[in-house]
Amino acid sequence: MAAKRQVRLTVNGTQYEASVEPRMTLVDFLRGELGLNGTHVGCEHGVCGACTILLEGRAVRACLMLAVQADGANIMTVEGLAPDGKLHPIQEAFIEEHGLQCGFCTPGFLMSVYELLHDNPNPSEEAILDSLGGNICRCTGYQSIRKSVRLAAEKVRTSSSAPQGG
Amino acid sequence: MAVDIQSSIGQLPVGEARFVGKSVKRVEDPLLVTGRVEFIDNVVLPGMLHCAILRSPYAHARIRSVDVSEARKLPGVFAVVTGEDAKRWTQPGPASPEGWGAHCLAVDKVRFVGEPVAAVAATSRYVAEDAIELINVDYDPLPPVVDAFKAAQADGPLVFEDKGTNIMYQRVFKWGEVDDAFRDADRVFTEQFRWHRLGANPMETFGVVSQWDPVDGSVTIHGAYQAPTHMAIGRAIVLQLPMNKVRVIGHPHGGSFGGKGGARGTDITALLSRKTGGRPVKWIEDRIEYITGGGSQAWDRHYEVALAVKKDGTVTGLKVKLLDDLGATGEGFGAIGAAKPLASFTGCYAIPVAEYDLTLVATNKLPAGPYRGMGPPPHNFVLEQMMDIAARGLGIDPAEIRRKNFIPPDRFPYTIASGNEYDSGEYEAALNTVLEMSDYSRLRQEQAEARKRGRYLGIGVVSTIEPGVFDWNAYAIVGVPGTGVPEGVTVSIDLFGKILVNVGFPIEGQGQYTLATQILADYFGVELADVRVVMQDTLSAPPNFGPGGSHLGVALTGAILGAADRLRDKLVAVAARLMQTEAQHVELKEGKLRIKGVPGAEMPVAQVAAVMLTRSDLLPPDMEQRPEATYVWTSPGRTPADDQGRAKSYLTAANACHVALVEIDPGTGKVAILKYWIADDCGVRLNPANVEGMIDGGVAQGVGAALLEEYVYNEEGQLLTSTFMDYLLPTIHDVPVTEKKGLVTPSPFTPLGAKGVGEGAIHTTPAAIMCAINDALLPLGVRTTEVPATPQRLWTLMRSAQQPS
Amino acid sequence: MKPPPFEYAAPGTVQEAIALLQQHEGEAKILAGGQSLMPLLNMRLARPGILIDLNKVTDLDYIRETNGALAIGAMTRKRTVEDSALVKSHQPLLHAATVLIAHPQIRNRGTVGGSMAQADPAAEYPAIAVALDAELQAAGPRGSRSIKASDFFVSYLTTALEPNEVLAEVRFPAVPRGTGWSVMEVARRHGDFAMTGVAVTTALDAKGQFSAARIVLFGVGPTPVRARAAEQVLTGQKPSEGLLAQAAQKVNDAIEEPLSDVHASAEYRRHLAQVLTRRALAEALTRTGTGQ
Repeated sequence: MAAKRQVRLTVNGTQYEASVEPRMTLVDFLRGELGLNGTHVGCEHGVCGACTILLEGRAVRACLMLAVQADGANIMTVEGLAPDGKLHPIQEAFIEEHGLQCGFCTPGFLMSVYELLHDNPNPSEEAILDSLGGNICRCTGYQSIRKSVRLAAEKVRTSSSAPQGG
Repeated sequence: MAVDIQSSIGQLPVGEARFVGKSVKRVEDPLLVTGRVEFIDNVVLPGMLHCAILRSPYAHARIRSVDVSEARKLPGVFAVVTGEDAKRWTQPGPASPEGWGAHCLAVDKVRFVGEPVAAVAATSRYVAEDAIELINVDYDPLPPVVDAFKAAQADGPLVFEDKGTNIMYQRVFKWGEVDDAFRDADRVFTEQFRWHRLGANPMETFGVVSQWDPVDGSVTIHGAYQAPTHMAIGRAIVLQLPMNKVRVIGHPHGGSFGGKGGARGTDITALLSRKTGGRPVKWIEDRIEYITGGGSQAWDRHYEVALAVKKDGTVTGLKVKLLDDLGATGEGFGAIGAAKPLASFTGCYAIPVAEYDLTLVATNKLPAGPYRGMGPPPHNFVLEQMMDIAARGLGIDPAEIRRKNFIPPDRFPYTIASGNEYDSGEYEAALNTVLEMSDYSRLRQEQAEARKRGRYLGIGVVSTIEPGVFDWNAYAIVGVPGTGVPEGVTVSIDLFGKILVNVGFPIEGQGQYTLATQILADYFGVELADVRVVMQDTLSAPPNFGPGGSHLGVALTGAILGAADRLRDKLVAVAARLMQTEAQHVELKEGKLRIKGVPGAEMPVAQVAAVMLTRSDLLPPDMEQRPEATYVWTSPGRTPADDQGRAKSYLTAANACHVALVEIDPGTGKVAILKYWIADDCGVRLNPANVEGMIDGGVAQGVGAALLEEYVYNEEGQLLTSTFMDYLLPTIHDVPVTEKKGLVTPSPFTPLGAKGVGEGAIHTTPAAIMCAINDALLPLGVRTTEVPATPQRLWTLMRSAQQPS
Repeated sequence: MKPPPFEYAAPGTVQEAIALLQQHEGEAKILAGGQSLMPLLNMRLARPGILIDLNKVTDLDYIRETNGALAIGAMTRKRTVEDSALVKSHQPLLHAATVLIAHPQIRNRGTVGGSMAQADPAAEYPAIAVALDAELQAAGPRGSRSIKASDFFVSYLTTALEPNEVLAEVRFPAVPRGTGWSVMEVARRHGDFAMTGVAVTTALDAKGQFSAARIVLFGVGPTPVRARAAEQVLTGQKPSEGLLAQAAQKVNDAIEEPLSDVHASAEYRRHLAQVLTRRALAEALTRTGTGQ
């Protein structure tokens, strides 16, 4: 077994330190080592987007990164959206517009939407599609997701919790 | 105690329903959007180990030996199991047709690429995968049979040598004087169709944690099961345990669509746990495992269809010949998908006679499993294509030929040729609605103009039945026994007036817990937050099935109302005694037990329930201290199937009419869906947003079926599409925004008049898109009969039309 | 699917990376954006003895302009290229190709150098590099060397990089004013790998005749395919529908070892190459100024 390496990182504002095998993926680390189970594994090929997290504010697939690569990083997962239990406007929007059914892909969508609204507070339909083309949902057919994102944009614009850079 | 379940929302004991019939926000959602729901991979138990499965690289081979000695030595490995353990400790799994099952780990031979051969339990999945690489299997490859037609012939490799044939099932059903109808027809149209393998692919694969108890010989299983009770039965059979020694705890899971699978994985982890002396063993199926070895594949079909028509467009007979490639075993119950079409064989049309020539064949591919729709989506596709072919052949507009053949609204309940009974329907109203929404005549004009400019625009108009509320008798022809699908719940009121409902199924996305909450909140006059839905495991829940066959919305409603009615009767009896009157003078209304016609003489439900729990002295004699009731609902009036498979099976018949406008790029063969309209009638909508969600999801899967999704096997039985790079799921770019209108023709047979709609538009969308594509191709005089209509297939077809002869 | 065991190093400089490559000759694989390599590792299709992670080498992330030419560090994220005003104005073809790549989440990690070094036959960047006459700077134990794009892509997933070299930079020469461009592809879904794609650049002289044309196909062979015969049909001629169709037909000559898979046969790809070439040339012409 390859020598374990120290990893220090910040996730949702909390600092963590752990010792990991180099081959452990970031998503397995977040779930298994840190107990942050909101990020899901759908394929491990980098296609479905269920594992999407924010790395330095940028949406990336956690199944395509190694935990050791996150040393020194600042990460946000779905648990960071409602740290004290109060739902984020994006989460509220998805509930109001029924933008989820089984909920497995939802955290990945929420993180992609978070990045989208940070870059583009008033996204066009095309910008929404571009941002979410890499998140697959098998339940909703995306209709209600489109509505959820438009409502989320409106809520975020009119609230004081505009997404920060993560 | 007889109950008279409410047949409409107006009969609920509430003035105006605040929740039922409204798109209330789902109670499941706060946990889901925060990522806090306990999907199976969250489960961590003390001493838990992780399983990896070694799978066959061959489609067909004898196993000469399995050497696990090196794997056992790897640090971190605690148990290894092989076919020897399976033979020693298990039976082959249940299958349809019966007798075509196999052990959970291959014994003596492997029959498909991906079949489990051995498994390891280790300290992590990483180590377990290292370990299976150290297992040495000596295979003796055999020639595989991969083509369904070759498999049906007598000379060739046999998947099960002891059966002497690959034909799992062969039978011709004749319902009515079919030959006469075809002989007397003005025209007979025929065509062959090919529908390629595709399947469920929920975003979460299957997962399980099994723990064997070596002291009492029982097993406790946590898993991502669509139908835990059903699973428990299978596990008891396979693991050779009495059912009361099998505890299955279903977990909320990331979708299923019928194809979650999990039988072999559960049994394998149970064996591993047994071998470790009782440590819990977790197996999370990875995506490649799901695609190649899981519940992922369905509907590998070859059709020959004939339609007999009069020259005025009246359809007088339908013949469907189906060769269905079920793969290596019947363990996936894919055979059910070949039987279900009986529930709506002739669609919306009053076709009096029909024939079904059905052959199920075994090949060295993954055993076919269930997928949303359970068989009718391809059947509807071929029927709707034939309606279009007949329309064109007779010079009739495709919408009009359908209208002409619809079962008229005054003929319901209507028994179709294959025996099922449709409850109600207004097909012409739905057709008119969608034709109006799409401005159909203007669409045809647009199409004519576009054609002049060399564009290939196509319009598809289809109308289909979505059978709802399944019953086992629908699958009698493939050997599935029984009638009646029980769905039981227990409703109780606690000391402080809050409501608890115990159900037997975990959440999987359809919003069923919300539906339960809505009904009870209205029934007992409380807020949504005052109701809690809690799942019970298989040793605690009343008989139930869970989601499946578009049954749960209706069945759950019936079970909850039945339990609520029984509970109401107890509360009425207690309240009557407390208010010193007779029970017949007391009613439940707006959350109060009150004396009819005496304003002010009332008691809140909560108070009566509290009295029941705390004041036995005040209760009527023989009244239990138990403000609680259980009810197990089942479809009324089901009949056992006769020798031709005819039975009153699916209780409801929802109807959908779709119009699709597509354009084909002749340079590339790519199809763009320009516009899409839906008129959907699934009776009373208990939560319209949930219903729309089912339709939308079905549309997306229909788009996938029509244009993108296909499992491709080569001649060696190797799956060429084994990852999400090659098995293409629709993304947000691929699914059109649809314009929808709902019609409501209530069911006279169901609680509150709702019809099953959980399988949604997958029944209709593939037909709509394929009909539109062929409409676009009309000027070229060619027709595509293969699904999916990939760009290469369409380009090849269009080019063949354009070649000078 | 979990990766097999491997050693791991995260050097801070290019020199350290080169030293590691030499030390672990034959056993090492470079990890850049990871969007291609990680799936292979997860599926155990790649089994390096050691993974050399370049993500801590900070001085390979830049876009520099010198007299209209752009030098892009190999570890520059595709997202950075996509958002760069410099790229939009100086290398619009590169910008357009970048936007076609996969999805934002992939572009947030994937790198310019990684794409070039991976040399996937269906990828956009290698074709763009050939279309724009890019030069790829390789850093090795004996120093730096410049490799022309036309020499860089050797065969299927294979480049001219030596086992102990690291791709450090990609240079795009200044594009003459008035040059038209277009990149088009046909994929099964938005963002998927192309079944076939084409990148073209066009230039017209003062008489409105083609003074230069570059046609580079991807997805039709193991490496980007330059359709020289098709280009020659155009040179010196006035654009017309007929001429473009003629040139499009000629691209077939350049396709020697066509690819074929479940999504697209060789025959279909050949046909797509022609269709796309005609369409891309037409689009490029709308962007072409006259008077070179």
